[in-house]
Amino acid sequence: MSMLSSVAERLYWMARYLERTEDTARLIKTYNHLIMDIPKGAEPPWDIMIDILDAQSMFRARFKVGSEQNVLKFLIADDKATCGIPFAARAMRENVRTTRDVLPEEAWELVNGLHLFVENEAARSSGRRHRHHFLSEVIGRCQMINGLIGASLPRDHAYGFIKLGRLIECTDMTTRVMDVAAGDIMNRAGRFGTIEPLLWGSLLQVLSAAGAYRREVGPIVEKAATLNFVLRSTEFPRSIKYCVRETRKELMRLKNHDFAIRATERLRRRLARLDVEQVTREELHYYVDNFQQQLNRLDAAIHATWFHGESA
Amino acid sequence: MSKPWRSYRTGAFFDELMTDRGSPRVTPRRAINFFRGLSADELQARRSAAELAIKEMGISFTVHTEQDNIDRAWPYDMIPRIISAREWATLSRGLAQRTRALNCFIDDIYNQQRILIDDIVPADIVLESDNYKSQCEGFSPRFGAWAHICGSDLVRDHRGRFFVLEDNLRVPSGVSYMLENREISKRVVPELFRNYSILPVDDYPLKLYEMLAALSPRTAKRPNIVVLTPGIYNAAYFEHAFLAQGMGAELVEGTDLTVTDDDCVYMLTVDGSVRVDVIYRRIDEDFIDPEAFRADTVLGVPGLMRAWRSGKVAIANAPGAGVADDKVIYAFVPEMIRYYLKETPLLSNVPTYLCVREQDREYVLKNISKLVIKPANESGGYGIMVGPHSSPAQHRRYARLIESDPRNYIAQPTLCLSTGPTLIENTVQPRHLDLRPFILQSKDVWVTPGGLTRVALKKGSLVVNSSQGGGSKDTWVVEGKP
Repeated sequence: MSMLSSVAERLYWMARYLERTEDTARLIKTYNHLIMDIPKGAEPPWDIMIDILDAQSMFRARFKVGSEQNVLKFLIADDKATCGIPFAARAMRENVRTTRDVLPEEAWELVNGLHLFVENEAARSSGRRHRHHFLSEVIGRCQMINGLIGASLPRDHAYGFIKLGRLIECTDMTTRVMDVAAGDIMNRAGRFGTIEPLLWGSLLQVLSAAGAYRREVGPIVEKAATLNFVLRSTEFPRSIKYCVRETRKELMRLKNHDFAIRATERLRRRLARLDVEQVTREELHYYVDNFQQQLNRLDAAIHATWFHGESA
Repeated sequence: MSKPWRSYRTGAFFDELMTDRGSPRVTPRRAINFFRGLSADELQARRSAAELAIKEMGISFTVHTEQDNIDRAWPYDMIPRIISAREWATLSRGLAQRTRALNCFIDDIYNQQRILIDDIVPADIVLESDNYKSQCEGFSPRFGAWAHICGSDLVRDHRGRFFVLEDNLRVPSGVSYMLENREISKRVVPELFRNYSILPVDDYPLKLYEMLAALSPRTAKRPNIVVLTPGIYNAAYFEHAFLAQGMGAELVEGTDLTVTDDDCVYMLTVDGSVRVDVIYRRIDEDFIDPEAFRADTVLGVPGLMRAWRSGKVAIANAPGAGVADDKVIYAFVPEMIRYYLKETPLLSNVPTYLCVREQDREYVLKNISKLVIKPANESGGYGIMVGPHSSPAQHRRYARLIESDPRNYIAQPTLCLSTGPTLIENTVQPRHLDLRPFILQSKDVWVTPGGLTRVALKKGSLVVNSSQGGGSKDTWVVEGKP
């Protein structure tokens, strides 16, 4: 069964927004847990989340102070913030609304249900009392949608483009978290040394990687092992290495993949080039920045090859 | 009997479910007894469940206002309209007969024009109509079928007799709501399904697929069928997506398709171009091809008519089918049945006065306050004036309209439309309703069991269109002894 280019594009973006919704919710949730364990004065600033989502200018246009309330309002209750949950949930729904004919029947109900839940609950969920329940529910619903797709969508083009969207969004988020969160921890350089394992542990939790890390590496959480795991675990599905490998596999199944495969190869080569033991804060930032540029080139290659076609 | 039903009076109208003495009719008796056993609170709880289900299922339609496009939840009333299978059999045969005759008519009009030559239908009425498309002259699609999907509106008068009010042959919509209403009923009043043998409706997408597949110009086992939609902002977009999904067909917009020099239609896919065999178009014919019709359309596909005329692609409904979707032409359908099929019409038309005829016009102008005046060419219930519900100023305005453009107006007696029990706030009250069954024709003719029942939610109102505040009911054709 072939697939319309326009439908492929919407599925790709549906998957990106689905992943973004879940990742953002997990980021906020983890940070909330973390903050309660950290001695006053040692906690990272609330707007570190805005840094991770690369949304400082948009945030500053709306709020002067990067306070807890403002950051949470921005990410949970502001439907115009393109990095926030309501925007991503709605964008996901709009993309499914125009592709529901190629998805399992229940997909529309689940996606629509998530959008309605966010729309109804967001306003009262930025405060501490309802925040946890809201975020858990959002994450759970996203996982349900992914589960439905995984369990009942035939492994044809629809699945392929959804998978590509998810892998690329996941790579994007993992690198952002690595850059900003790891950077923050490394900036401390020995200050608050006792809470460092806690911070690295949170970084793993944001990526839903804590359990997998324990099994693969062990219970001791420290910088080099964490970076190495997030970057190069061969089995953990949110590690960058895993995402890049799976992306390559999906691309190989499509026709006319040369351009996109070349972009993927560049990503793969970069993966080997980080010395996790010796890396400094600046080197890490430079490394991630460069990696993200290559990732954007891959995204552009996918758009140019499969979404616009010759006549568009 | 619970409180919500105590004030139920059928009045001068024929009620679908209740007799004028206030007792349930035979076929729906068990359903009525079930609903009468529910308290106001229980009815409310079920209504909330229905509203939630509709929201969760995302069943919506788009209303266009001056400011915005609003996506509204589908209005559903939980008390079904119930028809016995015996009664339905006659209606179904009558609808099939009508559609066959209408297709004969369209095919004749674009080819020999026998019916005009024999002066059964006045030639100027047909040939001077905007709906007559010269681009279709001399062409005959497969099986002589033009109106592949027809939605005919049926009403019942105060004596319970069925009449056909109009035949929608362009891009009739509503069938997805017929299917969804049944889904909602199964969730909201599951108890009722135990007591009745209700003819299922959910094989419609399959029947639609079979009908469309039979039109394919190629003999491939599985032809490439697409549903052509104007896009997300169309009022019926929900339905376009619903039907594409139901058939496993591609839902495409004009920009997804191209016609190349070989006169074939291709869709743009991730594997390259793929040839399309059948297009189920949900775009008005004036917008499907800027080369043949309106040049300013951005919805259509340049060259589509060329591809259709050279037999490389089938289009349903065929361009030009709208020539029979005209309230003046409607008046001649019984004649068409006699002329083409040599049969007696099984279904009656509503008596219709054609303002283009001098004698009729005089009668209409004299009796305008008692009649319903309709423009020949509007759909969605727009431009209609119901005489008894309108002011003298409106009567005068319509009299002027008729005199200035008599061809474009028809008049019908104000029918006392039948009613059905409908949940209005906390009570059950009679509301006027109609019925739109869908008829499919390519190789064979097939009629949906039942159809979409639309109900005017405002007291006394006869306007059932969802764009104007109408609601809907699940429609049951039930078999066996009551």
